[in-house]
Amino acid sequence: MSAFLKTLFGDASTVSVVAIVMATEVLLIANGQVALAAFAVPPLVLAGVAWLAAR
Amino acid sequence: MLDWTIVVPSFLAAAVEWVEAFTIVLAVSLSIGWRASIGAAVTALATLAVMTAATGGVLGLGLDIRWLQLAVGIFLLLFGVRWLAKAIARGAGLKPLHDEAQEFALTRAQLARGDWIASWLIAFKGVLFEGLEVGLVVAAFGLHGGAWASSATGALAALFVVVVVGLVVRAPLRRVPENAIKFTVGTMITAFGTFWTLEAVGGAAAWPWGDWSLLGLATFYALGGLALMALLHTRRTAGAVP
Repeated sequence: MSAFLKTLFGDASTVSVVAIVMATEVLLIANGQVALAAFAVPPLVLAGVAWLAAR
Repeated sequence: MLDWTIVVPSFLAAAVEWVEAFTIVLAVSLSIGWRASIGAAVTALATLAVMTAATGGVLGLGLDIRWLQLAVGIFLLLFGVRWLAKAIARGAGLKPLHDEAQEFALTRAQLARGDWIASWLIAFKGVLFEGLEVGLVVAAFGLHGGAWASSATGALAALFVVVVVGLVVRAPLRRVPENAIKFTVGTMITAFGTFWTLEAVGGAAAWPWGDWSLLGLATFYALGGLALMALLHTRRTAGAVP
């Protein structure tokens, strides 16, 4: 079962990175920063990838 | 009419998983024979077909498209960041390159200790788990403008190519540059995931250049990923020097 869940969602670190990205998107949009979001989210995703790769 | 912007990423994403699945089936076939190992693979593929149809059916029940887009975008991000990070870590030398020959030898060693049922289950589980990721990719890309045929065609074409190439080459697919494929697919899936999640949360206005933003995102992740690979490689090399 754990292997199945890991296949679907990845490990806890991967889920954390995506959760932070999603929370940031929601916060930016909720605060009216729609134009900023397109430029802020991709670097944040890449930072998350860098952290996952360097672990 | 096939949408090639869906067929190509679906093909590449599926090919990575089918290569791994085929390697396992090939190893199992040496223990329990081709007939039994192919039987396990076909059973797993049939299970996957049912799961994919169910996933597509659930996603196509007329739910709000933005919620569907958000759910699929999150799935793509989960896959994309994982694959991209792995490819970067391997490219930088932080992790060993995925060695199909090593996986082949490991599977054979496991089989030597097991029985027929265990061998069959190894082939079944291998195809099921690798194929499950393909099923999710098909469902995800299929949602893009209802491009189910394009998405499924890409995945099935990848399965056909991998099986044919695998049978022709016979040796455990050492020549397939898996990390390069994984890096490319990781950038594309991450780009799609980023695009769809933000569009679902913020609406179409979130991306100032519309669909062209996808190209910009893929380029950004590709160049950023290559820069990260070089940076991590340099840090590792510098750290190894006393």
